Amino acid sequence: MGKKIFATGLGGAAQALRQADVDVITSYPIRPYTAVMMDLARMVANGELDAEFVHAEGEHAQLSIVHGASAAGARTFTGSSGVGVTYAFETYSPIAGGRCPVQMLIADRTLDPPGDFGQEHTDALSCRDQGWLMGWAETPQEAYDNTLMFYRIGEDPRIMLPQFNCQDGYFVSHIPMMTEIADDSQVKEFLPPYKPSHPLDPRKPVGHGPQIFPDQGPALEAARATIFETAIPVIREVVNDFGKIFGRKYPPFVEEYMTDDADFVFFISGAHSHTCRFAIKHLRERGVKVGLVRIRFIRPWPTEDVMKSLSKFKAVGVIETNNSFGCAMGGGILALEVRTSLYDSPKKPLITSFMAGMGGEPITLKEFYWMAEKLAKMATSGKLEKQVFWVGFDE
Amino acid sequence: MVRIPKERELPWAGIVPAPAPNGEQPAMITGNWRTLRTILDKETCTQCRECWTVCPDACIIESDEGFSVNLKYCKGCGLCMSVCPSGSISRVPEIEFEDGVVRLEKPF
Repeated sequence: MGKKIFATGLGGAAQALRQADVDVITSYPIRPYTAVMMDLARMVANGELDAEFVHAEGEHAQLSIVHGASAAGARTFTGSSGVGVTYAFETYSPIAGGRCPVQMLIADRTLDPPGDFGQEHTDALSCRDQGWLMGWAETPQEAYDNTLMFYRIGEDPRIMLPQFNCQDGYFVSHIPMMTEIADDSQVKEFLPPYKPSHPLDPRKPVGHGPQIFPDQGPALEAARATIFETAIPVIREVVNDFGKIFGRKYPPFVEEYMTDDADFVFFISGAHSHTCRFAIKHLRERGVKVGLVRIRFIRPWPTEDVMKSLSKFKAVGVIETNNSFGCAMGGGILALEVRTSLYDSPKKPLITSFMAGMGGEPITLKEFYWMAEKLAKMATSGKLEKQVFWVGFDE
Repeated sequence: MVRIPKERELPWAGIVPAPAPNGEQPAMITGNWRTLRTILDKETCTQCRECWTVCPDACIIESDEGFSVNLKYCKGCGLCMSVCPSGSISRVPEIEFEDGVVRLEKPF
């Protein structure tokens, strides 16, 4: 039954990609994501992985190559970070609209300026409206697991969508943890070979991405919108199946930690949930009724699961790790989705944004305690003190 | 889940068979983008093929009866007119024709 190795998030993902037997890989260097390409290049050179490894001249080319390769029937992989992700922006919607289940790993990095090496989720979240599946891993283990799950979901004939397989730069991408690498046979059982539905084939020619009239556009867009509704039950099915084969049971969308009697919770995505768990443990020892709600998928956004989970609490602090300058409430992107999910709920918690983990700073235990204090005060008074807190700046 | 009426349904992901019959995608007739209609005078045409060479949309059709314009796809750009040595090609506003106001009914 598999083996345990000390792996970073990118190292874990590379192992999963080897086992997924990807056919075409396109790379272009930018830190921090680039380490996954170093691993894959080594695997290809050593004959452990039989794949076409293309070093592209930029991210736009990276994505364009996997677009074509995927349309021709290859299982494809690419990745980037920060401004590399945004440089390829034009390609995202055509890949999704063409129903090409490309997988792109994003190891987050802040967007310029200035050239900050640190990480925020803004690079990936800026692409959330382009029709891709999207979700974050908390640990290298989850990065390994998500890589396999995302392919399976994206290549499902009911879905056929590309996937942004995201992990926090540095905190997940470069910090190693014990990671279980499954047997090849388990991966084979879980992930069938990719079967394209309308492959580019000279013996049976088809035209992809033709020009259309404006009145033909809405029908295609409506069809794309419905896939995201179909994706919700498909993801439940796949995550459940993954648990059965690999023995690691994830909640499909929303994980709750110490929420049973919680008055208030942190709502969070990605790496910082790791520190958050420890903060909650320490706070619980002091008798503070705090919990954690972690979201695994941003697209499709699991509206019902979020509403069901969060409506139980008096206050919710959304840890953003992203920004959307000038947005409603003036905080980050996550709170927009969280608040919207709860608007129709008969019971609504107070919701505030915590701008924390910005620019790649870690979120310390002390900062979590500070945020918990703010939430406790709101839960007791029933009043929203502020819509947005800048952690480390606000009193 | 939104229901798409049958008549508005498109092929999966917009993928169409290729090559299209006669090189024409029936769902994508673009001649109605045109505001000026290309008229080729067969009487004065010397069949030199200059227009055939320059047409960016391959709309000059050659047949036993000489040359003609494929109005299903011609955008009326006028390149053919500008190169025609015998002055056999002209352009007339679409609105002058009884069947020529498609563009006004549909913006594209």
